[in-house]
Amino acid sequence: MSEREVDEIKKLLKREMKPVGKAELPRDLWPAMLEKLSRGAASVPWWDWVLLAGTGVALWLFPGMVPALLYHL
Amino acid sequence: MYKHPFLRAYLAGIAIPTVLLLVAMTAYTVIRYVYDVPIAIEKVIVFPMAAVPNAWGLWNVLHLAVWQKRRIPIGLFGAALPLLLAPGGYLVTRLLHFTVPPEVFQVSPFALPIGLIVYYLVWKYFVGFLNAELGIA
Repeated sequence: MSEREVDEIKKLLKREMKPVGKAELPRDLWPAMLEKLSRGAASVPWWDWVLLAGTGVALWLFPGMVPALLYHL
Repeated sequence: MYKHPFLRAYLAGIAIPTVLLLVAMTAYTVIRYVYDVPIAIEKVIVFPMAAVPNAWGLWNVLHLAVWQKRRIPIGLFGAALPLLLAPGGYLVTRLLHFTVPPEVFQVSPFALPIGLIVYYLVWKYFVGFLNAELGIA
């Protein structure tokens, strides 16, 4: 690549890739990340456990429902 | 990250049934070809393979569209989907002349409520989680 071509590429790059300007974030994202991590997993309400248990019992009592369920999942 | 929310909703929606499809297809293959169960499931397999994942994706897109106007919990919204899928699945079996085993009809009064509960839980915890991860919850 000749010197002229390198200069041409430099010129093209400078023209197409505008300066970023203000590169800093408007605020620090790390405290929000820490807060999200400290929240942990969402707690499951008791009625959802009841529903899950009831579903398990029903599928155990009526295994014929399993293929029908798989068909619709 | 904040572009194309409906595309992200669609992808989050199809993720769960696509994974479950692997389980269903494995079970189907074992039942059909290992245990030689004489049920031609391949006639109607197009429904869980194509219709169900797309329905989940589109349902999640619809939920996002509705969410912007009316806050319906995703669990309840997802629980409504079997009300469309169950008749749809049955229609496919009728159109393709697939003989549904009588055991399935015997348990059908219980199957729909159980299906609603399963959908409620899966949508609330799994699809809800994916939506949150993709920033559309």
